[in-house]
Amino acid sequence: MPPDLTRRHLLGLGAGLLCPRVALGFGTASRFHVAEIDLGAHSLHRPQAWKRMLHEIIQATSIEADPKVVRVRPSDPNLFEHPFAVLVGRKALPPLEDEAVHQLRRYLAYGGTLFIDDASGSGKGGFADSVRELSRRIFPTRPLSPLPGDHAIYRSFFLLERPVGRTQGNGTLEGVQVGPTAPLIFCPCDLSGALDRSMDGRNTTPLAGGEMQRREAVKLSINLALYSLTSNYKHDIAHEVELMREGRIE
Amino acid sequence: MSWWFGGPLSEQGELFWSLSPGWILPAALSVLIAAAWSLRREGPLRLVEAACWSLALLTALIGVADPVWHEAEGRTEPGRTVVLVDSSRSMGIEAQGLSRGEAAMRAVSSLGPGVDIYSFGTTIKPGPPSAWDDAGTDIGGALEAVADRYLGQQLRSVVLLTDGIDRGGLRTDDAGSLSSRVPSLPGPLTVVQVGEALGGVDHAVTDIRTGGFAFLRTPFALTAVVEGQPGHELPVTLRREGRLVDTQRTTLDGDGRAEVRFEVIPNAVGRFVWEVSIPDEVADTIPGNNSHAVVVRVVRDRTRVLQVCGSPSYDQKFLRLFLKEDPSVDLVSFFILRTHDDFAAGWSPQELSLIAFPYERLFTEQLETFDVVIFQNFDFKPYFERDPNGLLSNIVRFVRDGGAFVMVGGDRSFDLGEYADTPIAGILPVRLGVGATAVTDAPFKPSLAEGGHQHPVTRIAGSLEDSALAWSRLPELDGMNRNRGLVEGAAALLEHPNVTTEGRPMPVLSVREVGEGRTMALMTDASWRWSFSEAGTGRGNQSYLRFWKGALRWLVADPDDRRMVAQPSADNVLLGESMRIKTVVRDAGFNPVPGARITGMVAAPDGAEVAIEGVTDEMGVAVSTITPQVQGAHRVRLVSEDRGAAETVFSVVTRDPELAEVSPDEAFLKRLAQAYGAQGAIRLPGEAINPLVDDSAERVVDEQRTVALSSMPVMALIMGLFAGLAWWIRRRHGGR
Repeated sequence: MPPDLTRRHLLGLGAGLLCPRVALGFGTASRFHVAEIDLGAHSLHRPQAWKRMLHEIIQATSIEADPKVVRVRPSDPNLFEHPFAVLVGRKALPPLEDEAVHQLRRYLAYGGTLFIDDASGSGKGGFADSVRELSRRIFPTRPLSPLPGDHAIYRSFFLLERPVGRTQGNGTLEGVQVGPTAPLIFCPCDLSGALDRSMDGRNTTPLAGGEMQRREAVKLSINLALYSLTSNYKHDIAHEVELMREGRIE
Repeated sequence: MSWWFGGPLSEQGELFWSLSPGWILPAALSVLIAAAWSLRREGPLRLVEAACWSLALLTALIGVADPVWHEAEGRTEPGRTVVLVDSSRSMGIEAQGLSRGEAAMRAVSSLGPGVDIYSFGTTIKPGPPSAWDDAGTDIGGALEAVADRYLGQQLRSVVLLTDGIDRGGLRTDDAGSLSSRVPSLPGPLTVVQVGEALGGVDHAVTDIRTGGFAFLRTPFALTAVVEGQPGHELPVTLRREGRLVDTQRTTLDGDGRAEVRFEVIPNAVGRFVWEVSIPDEVADTIPGNNSHAVVVRVVRDRTRVLQVCGSPSYDQKFLRLFLKEDPSVDLVSFFILRTHDDFAAGWSPQELSLIAFPYERLFTEQLETFDVVIFQNFDFKPYFERDPNGLLSNIVRFVRDGGAFVMVGGDRSFDLGEYADTPIAGILPVRLGVGATAVTDAPFKPSLAEGGHQHPVTRIAGSLEDSALAWSRLPELDGMNRNRGLVEGAAALLEHPNVTTEGRPMPVLSVREVGEGRTMALMTDASWRWSFSEAGTGRGNQSYLRFWKGALRWLVADPDDRRMVAQPSADNVLLGESMRIKTVVRDAGFNPVPGARITGMVAAPDGAEVAIEGVTDEMGVAVSTITPQVQGAHRVRLVSEDRGAAETVFSVVTRDPELAEVSPDEAFLKRLAQAYGAQGAIRLPGEAINPLVDDSAERVVDEQRTVALSSMPVMALIMGLFAGLAWWIRRRHGGR
């Protein structure tokens, strides 16, 4: 499958064979895609990692995704065109301007999701500290806390026991819970590092756990997308009862 | 002798003059003039003649002054007999062709003339009862009234004729405490019991307690009170709108009373008649009180929404966020997370947290538990493997029975979801079958259609102007599913600014009423932009929230929020009270329809019908007033030409206590008589009244007598005597 080919294209192609004038698209703007928060040299640009995630989503799930990655400044009003955003860094972030913090607060309050990936893979150090400080500024009354093992992000598509990326970090994702959903998620295990590929399609980073570990990273990335769209759907009583009945969760 | 004075005049009388004192001077002058006139004559006895003329004239003047002799005196007579006749409705109960009241009046006639008769129920009135229709019986109040009215007098006898079903509160007292509560009467009391146990016992449903309203799909209790023969066991049946709901057996306790609790779960919103009844038994004296109907209004506490989505998306995300955070919504979501096409990705099912889509259960046995079903970019064909048309037909039936259905756009919706030739196409507001051009993907900003300005779904601000402004500011949508325009009876609320179908702008948002239910078609999968992209402008997401709130409210509207609605002024009224039936007529855009002619009937439980008609005013409202004449559920059915029909129901629930208990209370009447000791007596049916009397009772009657002295014959005699004498003297001595 070509990198940018989506289900809608396939449907269009199939229908086009029968009837060349059929137009099945609504444009691509409403499809799931990724916006990288651009903090210049302080943030990492890993579009191939996110495109890989988007392609995996297209192949494994029913989500209509557009495998495109855009870069956007946190204070850019266009941020609201992209409900799913990621921020990747390795070193301490500079303090964001108040305008950017205010916009991020609004973005997350009205339904956006911000996934912050610690490329150091440790969940400690300058980047993690600056993320906690940024989280404090965005949500002064809600701490960035470890997400419990039964959080919906661990079962939004795959049943996961813990987050796995290039590393295993400290063994847990952290997040800020607002009502039924966690709009800000911090991953200490360099997920994008595990997904990243070079332009020729080869993985950029070998993993200690080999391809099995990368597989787990892909599963986490898919869960992340599903969670951003369905929030606590998997905690709906109908799902919990059925999964418990089948013995897949306790 | 007394004839000469117009009758006997006693010494205690007083003299009154009718003529005012102002006449004395002219009278005196006229006497002097008469005397002077007679003195003009020359000759003897001139002075005697003048004196006679003066006396005659003086007598005439006294007569003109109208003197009156007024005598006042007291006369002693034997004491009166006062008769109190119960005029309450229970006195209308007949036995052997004679009502208790008629029997009472026969007894009164045996007392002979010269009795003071009063009728009493809740109040007391002079004279015999004209009808047996008083709503209560207050024996204590009637006795108090007699004591007050004859204060200071002695009555020969007081006779009370009643069945003893007192509602004034005396019956709970024993004889001892009763004696301290009843008033002191000015004469001995004879209590005459009217009516007797009719040889059977009356079983009755005397009350239903409901709390007034109930919540949809939430258990509520109706407690029926049954009274009758102590220890009797009987079945008690609950019906809703005539349909059997439950039957329980109960045994009346030692007081002949039982409470039967029915717990029911209402499954529809609106006004419903609940009727509790017991069987008519041969020995039952009044079968008419064996059933009792009340209207209970069922309201919705939370709107139960089923959201089925064919693909997680931003549109699904923001709708779920809204539905999940709205405390008035109980949301059940099912999202298709993986299709058959995705199986090729190679993930083991054991790795997944997915569950099977329980489509059969949802769209059969559980469908009725929802208020709104939302198909959001959902194509049924891959999932409805068994009997797809049957399941879709269930949805159609669900809507026709009052449910709501929404289809939201996307590449799996409408024609792209292959709904064109399914039962669902028959309930959508838009016509499907667009063929090759199923979507248009050019961004556009929808405009308010003519019907959208006032409609509650698209009214997203306080005023029409603000609402239109808010819609004009909302972000563009990414494209839409095409359609072939509205079906008949549907209304477009938003339309495409450029794309047309059959010469009219293509509907983007449309609504339709189908049977008792409603449907809505939103032909886009980008309404999320009205929330998130709008929030990016700094204006928040209120427009999105108000749109969906308005949509849900309209979709699950109570029967009172339909286009043509009949609303009674109360669910339950008392017998004799008037009831206002308000009819509201609106068009598809929810605009009031003035001048609509309304006709219909109010059907009473006895089959009688009262015609209703009216014309709506500029607010689309017509009001009719009726006064129900019988107890029970009344059904109102109204129609308006071309505007539809409306139905409602109300109940006349007066539980007439006078008919709920019909056996005379002999024990109470005996206690009442005992409360007066030797001055009280009881007469039971079949016994002669023979009232207790106080022969020493007497009363003083004031008598007045007035004698007009001017008409006394002696006055005419005196005047004639003196005038004749004066005339004779004058003629005798040469005068003229």
